Amino acid sequence: MMDILTVLLLFLLKSFVADGEVVTPSPDVELPTSESRDALEESLVIAVAEDRISMGGELVTALGPGFRAPDDGDLLIVALADRLEQARAQRDDLAARRGRPDQRKNRVTIQGDRSMPFEVLERVMYTCNQSGFHDIALAVLRG
Amino acid sequence: MARRRGYRKIIEADLDIMPLMNLFVVLIPMLLLSAVFVEISAIDMDAPAAAEEVSTPRESLDLAIEVRADRYVVRGRGLRERTIARDEASADTTLAAHLDRLRRDHPDESAVRILSPPRVRYQEIITVMDISRSVGLGAISLVGRDPAGSGRTVEAR
Repeated sequence: MMDILTVLLLFLLKSFVADGEVVTPSPDVELPTSESRDALEESLVIAVAEDRISMGGELVTALGPGFRAPDDGDLLIVALADRLEQARAQRDDLAARRGRPDQRKNRVTIQGDRSMPFEVLERVMYTCNQSGFHDIALAVLRG
Repeated sequence: MARRRGYRKIIEADLDIMPLMNLFVVLIPMLLLSAVFVEISAIDMDAPAAAEEVSTPRESLDLAIEVRADRYVVRGRGLRERTIARDEASADTTLAAHLDRLRRDHPDESAVRILSPPRVRYQEIITVMDISRSVGLGAISLVGRDPAGSGRTVEAR
Protein backbone atom coordinates (compact mmCIF):
# COMPACT_ATOMS: atom_id res chain seq x y z
CA MET A 1 0.00 0.00 0.00
CA MET A 2 2.72 2.43 1.02
CA ASP A 3 4.77 1.42 -2.01
CA ILE A 4 1.89 2.13 -4.37
CA LEU A 5 1.23 5.47 -2.78
CA THR A 6 4.89 6.43 -2.92
CA VAL A 7 5.16 5.53 -6.60
CA LEU A 8 1.94 7.41 -7.38
CA LEU A 9 3.12 10.45 -5.47
CA LEU A 10 6.47 10.52 -7.27
CA PHE A 11 4.78 10.07 -10.65
CA LEU A 12 2.37 12.92 -9.98
CA LEU A 13 5.12 15.19 -8.71
CA LYS A 14 7.20 14.44 -11.80
CA SER A 15 4.35 15.17 -14.21
CA PHE A 16 3.67 18.36 -12.29
CA VAL A 17 7.26 19.53 -12.59
CA ALA A 18 7.84 18.35 -16.18
CA ASP A 19 4.93 20.35 -17.50
CA GLY A 20 6.63 23.64 -16.81
CA GLU A 21 3.91 25.99 -17.92
CA VAL A 22 0.62 24.72 -16.66
CA VAL A 23 -1.92 25.40 -19.35
CA THR A 24 -5.51 24.89 -18.40
CA PRO A 25 -7.97 24.78 -21.26
CA SER A 26 -11.18 26.66 -20.68
CA PRO A 27 -13.87 24.28 -19.41
CA ASP A 28 -16.36 25.17 -22.14
CA VAL A 29 -13.85 24.91 -24.96
CA GLU A 30 -13.18 21.64 -26.73
CA LEU A 31 -9.83 22.14 -28.45
CA PRO A 32 -9.15 20.66 -31.89
CA THR A 33 -6.63 17.84 -32.17
CA SER A 34 -3.45 18.29 -34.13
CA GLU A 35 -0.13 16.59 -34.69
CA SER A 36 1.77 19.74 -33.75
CA ARG A 37 4.35 19.22 -31.00
CA ASP A 38 5.34 22.85 -30.48
CA ALA A 39 5.29 23.90 -26.86
CA LEU A 40 2.77 26.44 -25.73
CA GLU A 41 4.30 29.54 -24.16
CA GLU A 42 2.80 31.67 -21.47
CA SER A 43 0.81 34.53 -22.93
CA LEU A 44 -2.54 36.23 -22.97
CA VAL A 45 -5.29 33.69 -23.66
CA ILE A 46 -8.44 34.31 -25.66
CA ALA A 47 -10.95 31.50 -25.25
CA VAL A 48 -13.51 31.16 -28.02
CA ALA A 49 -16.31 28.82 -26.98
CA GLU A 50 -19.39 28.02 -29.03
CA ASP A 51 -21.39 30.89 -27.61
CA ARG A 52 -18.90 33.37 -26.20
CA ILE A 53 -15.45 34.89 -26.33
CA SER A 54 -13.71 35.29 -22.98
CA MET A 55 -10.36 36.44 -21.69
CA GLY A 56 -9.02 35.35 -18.30
CA GLY A 57 -12.37 33.76 -17.47
CA GLU A 58 -14.27 36.99 -18.04
CA LEU A 59 -16.84 37.30 -20.78
CA VAL A 60 -15.81 39.64 -23.58
CA THR A 61 -18.70 39.18 -25.98
CA ALA A 62 -21.44 36.68 -26.70
CA LEU A 63 -21.47 34.82 -30.02
CA GLY A 64 -25.18 34.69 -30.70
CA PRO A 65 -26.95 34.72 -34.04
CA GLY A 66 -26.41 38.48 -34.02
CA PHE A 67 -22.66 38.04 -34.14
CA ARG A 68 -22.04 38.77 -37.78
CA ALA A 69 -19.56 40.94 -39.57
CA PRO A 70 -21.06 44.30 -40.43
CA ASP A 71 -21.96 44.93 -44.03
CA ASP A 72 -19.03 47.25 -44.56
CA GLY A 73 -16.75 44.23 -44.20
CA ASP A 74 -14.98 45.41 -41.07
CA LEU A 75 -13.97 42.28 -39.22
CA LEU A 76 -12.95 44.03 -35.99
CA ILE A 77 -14.61 42.78 -32.78
CA VAL A 78 -14.77 46.04 -30.85
CA ALA A 79 -15.27 44.52 -27.36
CA LEU A 80 -12.27 42.23 -27.85
CA ALA A 81 -10.13 45.07 -29.20
CA ASP A 82 -10.94 47.11 -26.06
CA ARG A 83 -9.99 44.23 -23.77
CA LEU A 84 -6.76 43.65 -25.66
CA GLU A 85 -5.95 47.32 -25.35
CA GLN A 86 -6.51 47.14 -21.57
CA ALA A 87 -4.37 44.02 -21.31
CA ARG A 88 -1.61 45.70 -23.27
CA ALA A 89 -1.72 48.74 -20.98
CA GLN A 90 -1.51 46.47 -17.92
CA ARG A 91 1.42 44.56 -19.36
CA ASP A 92 3.26 47.75 -20.31
CA ASP A 93 2.67 49.12 -16.84
CA LEU A 94 3.96 45.92 -15.25
CA ALA A 95 7.02 45.86 -17.50
CA ALA A 96 7.77 49.50 -16.67
CA ARG A 97 7.58 48.75 -12.93
CA ARG A 98 9.78 45.72 -13.32
CA GLY A 99 12.24 47.81 -15.29
CA ARG A 100 12.65 45.40 -18.17
CA PRO A 101 10.67 45.03 -21.36
CA ASP A 102 8.17 42.21 -21.72
CA GLN A 103 9.63 39.80 -24.27
CA ARG A 104 6.29 38.30 -25.22
CA LYS A 105 4.18 41.40 -25.21
CA ASN A 106 2.86 40.77 -28.72
CA ARG A 107 1.97 37.14 -28.08
CA VAL A 108 -1.54 35.87 -27.70
CA THR A 109 -2.90 32.31 -27.56
CA ILE A 110 -6.28 31.46 -29.03
CA GLN A 111 -8.07 28.53 -27.43
CA GLY A 112 -10.80 27.92 -29.95
CA ASP A 113 -13.57 25.36 -29.84
CA ARG A 114 -13.19 22.75 -32.56
CA SER A 115 -16.65 23.52 -33.95
CA MET A 116 -16.01 27.26 -34.21
CA PRO A 117 -16.67 28.52 -37.74
CA PHE A 118 -13.74 29.98 -39.63
CA GLU A 119 -15.52 33.32 -39.75
CA VAL A 120 -15.11 33.72 -35.98
CA LEU A 121 -11.46 32.64 -36.01
CA GLU A 122 -10.79 35.07 -38.81
CA ARG A 123 -12.39 37.94 -36.91
CA VAL A 124 -10.55 37.11 -33.68
CA MET A 125 -7.23 36.91 -35.49
CA TYR A 126 -7.93 40.11 -37.37
CA THR A 127 -8.77 41.89 -34.11
CA CYS A 128 -5.56 40.61 -32.45
CA ASN A 129 -3.59 41.79 -35.43
CA GLN A 130 -5.20 45.21 -35.42
CA SER A 131 -4.55 45.52 -31.67
CA GLY A 132 -0.84 44.91 -32.21
CA PHE A 133 -0.74 41.25 -31.15
CA HIS A 134 1.00 39.85 -34.21
CA ASP A 135 2.40 36.71 -32.62
CA ILE A 136 -0.61 34.41 -32.49
CA ALA A 137 -0.56 30.80 -31.30
CA LEU A 138 -3.46 28.40 -31.76
CA ALA A 139 -3.84 26.01 -28.84
CA VAL A 140 -4.46 22.41 -29.92
CA LEU A 141 -4.61 19.02 -28.25
CA ARG A 142 -1.86 16.63 -29.17
CA GLY A 143 -3.58 13.95 -31.20
CA MET B 1 27.89 -10.32 30.53
CA ALA B 2 24.87 -8.21 31.34
CA ARG B 3 25.77 -5.96 28.48
CA ARG B 4 25.75 -8.79 25.99
CA ARG B 5 22.32 -9.95 27.13
CA GLY B 6 20.92 -6.44 26.65
CA TYR B 7 22.25 -6.34 23.12
CA ARG B 8 20.40 -9.52 22.24
CA LYS B 9 17.06 -8.30 23.46
CA ILE B 10 14.64 -7.83 20.54
CA ILE B 11 12.75 -4.60 20.64
CA GLU B 12 9.29 -4.96 19.24
CA ALA B 13 7.68 -1.76 18.06
CA ASP B 14 5.29 -0.99 15.23
CA LEU B 15 6.32 1.67 12.77
CA ASP B 16 3.82 4.46 13.05
CA ILE B 17 2.98 5.28 9.45
CA MET B 18 -0.21 7.15 10.19
CA PRO B 19 1.30 10.66 9.80
CA LEU B 20 2.79 9.62 6.47
CA MET B 21 -0.52 8.15 5.33
CA ASN B 22 -2.28 11.34 6.28
CA LEU B 23 0.18 13.33 4.22
CA PHE B 24 -0.35 11.05 1.22
CA VAL B 25 -4.10 11.19 1.53
CA VAL B 26 -3.91 14.96 1.27
CA LEU B 27 -1.15 15.22 -1.33
CA ILE B 28 -2.37 12.66 -3.84
CA PRO B 29 -5.87 14.07 -4.44
CA MET B 30 -4.37 17.56 -4.63
CA LEU B 31 -1.83 16.54 -7.27
CA LEU B 32 -4.39 14.44 -9.14
CA LEU B 33 -6.67 17.43 -9.37
CA SER B 34 -3.96 19.72 -10.63
CA ALA B 35 -2.35 17.20 -12.99
CA VAL B 36 -2.85 17.94 -16.67
CA PHE B 37 -3.47 14.70 -18.48
CA VAL B 38 -4.12 16.24 -21.86
CA GLU B 39 -1.12 17.64 -23.58
CA ILE B 40 -1.64 20.96 -25.28
CA SER B 41 0.57 22.18 -28.09
CA ALA B 42 0.66 25.32 -30.15
CA ILE B 43 0.50 26.13 -33.82
CA ASP B 44 2.32 29.40 -34.24
CA MET B 45 0.81 31.91 -36.55
CA ASP B 46 2.58 35.03 -37.65
CA ALA B 47 0.11 37.70 -38.58
CA PRO B 48 1.41 40.29 -40.97
CA ALA B 49 1.35 43.86 -39.70
CA ALA B 50 -1.84 45.72 -40.48
CA ALA B 51 -0.29 47.69 -43.33
CA GLU B 52 0.66 44.56 -45.26
CA GLU B 53 -2.62 42.87 -44.57
CA VAL B 54 -3.16 41.55 -48.05
CA SER B 55 0.05 39.79 -48.88
CA THR B 56 0.97 38.61 -52.31
CA PRO B 57 2.73 35.26 -52.38
CA ARG B 58 6.30 35.56 -53.50
CA GLU B 59 6.69 31.96 -54.58
CA SER B 60 6.05 31.01 -58.14
CA LEU B 61 3.64 28.14 -57.61
CA ASP B 62 1.10 30.08 -55.49
CA LEU B 63 -0.34 26.85 -54.13
CA ALA B 64 -3.78 27.12 -52.58
CA ILE B 65 -6.06 24.60 -50.89
CA GLU B 66 -9.67 25.56 -50.74
CA VAL B 67 -11.51 23.83 -47.90
CA ARG B 68 -15.16 23.55 -48.88
CA ALA B 69 -17.89 21.70 -47.01
CA ASP B 70 -17.95 18.88 -49.56
CA ARG B 71 -14.55 19.02 -51.27
CA TYR B 72 -10.94 20.15 -51.23
CA VAL B 73 -9.77 22.08 -54.25
CA VAL B 74 -6.03 22.28 -54.83
CA ARG B 75 -4.85 24.83 -57.32
CA GLY B 76 -1.68 26.64 -58.21
CA ARG B 77 -0.03 28.58 -60.97
CA GLY B 78 0.55 26.26 -63.92
CA LEU B 79 -1.13 23.33 -62.16
CA ARG B 80 -4.23 21.48 -63.20
CA GLU B 81 -6.94 22.10 -60.62
CA ARG B 82 -7.59 19.00 -58.52
CA THR B 83 -10.85 18.44 -56.67
CA ILE B 84 -11.00 15.85 -53.90
CA ALA B 85 -14.46 14.91 -52.65
CA ARG B 86 -14.63 14.99 -48.86
CA ASP B 87 -17.42 12.47 -48.46
CA GLU B 88 -14.93 9.65 -48.92
CA ALA B 89 -13.07 8.41 -45.86
CA SER B 90 -9.79 8.57 -47.74
CA ALA B 91 -10.09 12.27 -48.63
CA ASP B 92 -7.38 13.36 -46.18
CA THR B 93 -4.99 10.65 -47.37
CA THR B 94 -5.65 11.55 -51.01
CA LEU B 95 -4.99 15.23 -50.24
CA ALA B 96 -1.76 14.34 -48.42
CA ALA B 97 -0.61 12.16 -51.34
CA HIS B 98 -1.43 14.87 -53.88
CA LEU B 99 0.39 17.58 -51.89
CA ASP B 100 3.33 15.26 -51.37
CA ARG B 101 3.56 14.70 -55.13
CA LEU B 102 3.39 18.45 -55.77
CA ARG B 103 6.05 19.04 -53.13
CA ARG B 104 8.35 16.48 -54.71
CA ASP B 105 7.84 18.07 -58.14
CA HIS B 106 8.60 21.51 -56.69
CA PRO B 107 11.08 20.95 -53.86
CA ASP B 108 11.70 24.68 -53.31
CA GLU B 109 8.07 25.32 -52.56
CA SER B 110 7.03 25.55 -48.90
CA ALA B 111 4.20 28.06 -49.04
CA VAL B 112 0.56 27.18 -49.22
CA ARG B 113 -2.59 29.21 -48.74
CA ILE B 114 -5.62 27.68 -47.08
CA LEU B 115 -8.81 29.31 -48.28
CA SER B 116 -11.93 28.85 -46.23
CA PRO B 117 -15.51 29.90 -46.59
CA PRO B 118 -16.91 31.43 -43.36
CA ARG B 119 -18.79 28.35 -42.13
CA VAL B 120 -15.96 25.83 -42.27
CA ARG B 121 -15.21 24.34 -38.83
CA TYR B 122 -11.96 25.10 -37.02
CA GLN B 123 -11.04 21.41 -36.68
CA GLU B 124 -11.21 20.96 -40.47
CA ILE B 125 -8.80 23.85 -40.98
CA ILE B 126 -6.40 22.47 -38.35
CA THR B 127 -6.54 19.06 -40.08
CA VAL B 128 -5.62 20.60 -43.44
CA MET B 129 -2.83 22.58 -41.76
CA ASP B 130 -1.52 19.32 -40.27
CA ILE B 131 -1.59 17.61 -43.67
CA SER B 132 0.30 20.54 -45.25
CA ARG B 133 2.91 20.56 -42.52
CA SER B 134 3.35 16.80 -42.70
CA VAL B 135 4.41 16.99 -46.37
CA GLY B 136 6.75 19.91 -45.73
CA LEU B 137 4.53 22.80 -46.73
CA GLY B 138 5.16 24.68 -43.51
CA ALA B 139 4.59 28.31 -44.53
CA ILE B 140 0.82 28.33 -44.23
CA SER B 141 -1.40 31.34 -44.75
CA LEU B 142 -5.02 31.29 -43.72
CA VAL B 143 -7.13 33.27 -46.11
CA GLY B 144 -10.68 34.33 -45.53
CA ARG B 145 -12.74 36.36 -47.88
CA ASP B 146 -14.27 39.62 -46.91
CA PRO B 147 -17.35 40.90 -48.77
CA ALA B 148 -15.19 43.14 -50.93
CA GLY B 149 -13.58 40.02 -52.33
CA SER B 150 -10.01 40.73 -51.30
CA GLY B 151 -8.36 38.11 -49.12
CA ARG B 152 -7.12 38.76 -45.63
CA THR B 153 -4.27 36.56 -44.65
CA VAL B 154 -2.65 35.35 -41.49
CA GLU B 155 0.53 33.38 -41.91
CA ALA B 156 1.69 30.36 -39.94
CA ARG B 157 5.37 30.07 -39.28
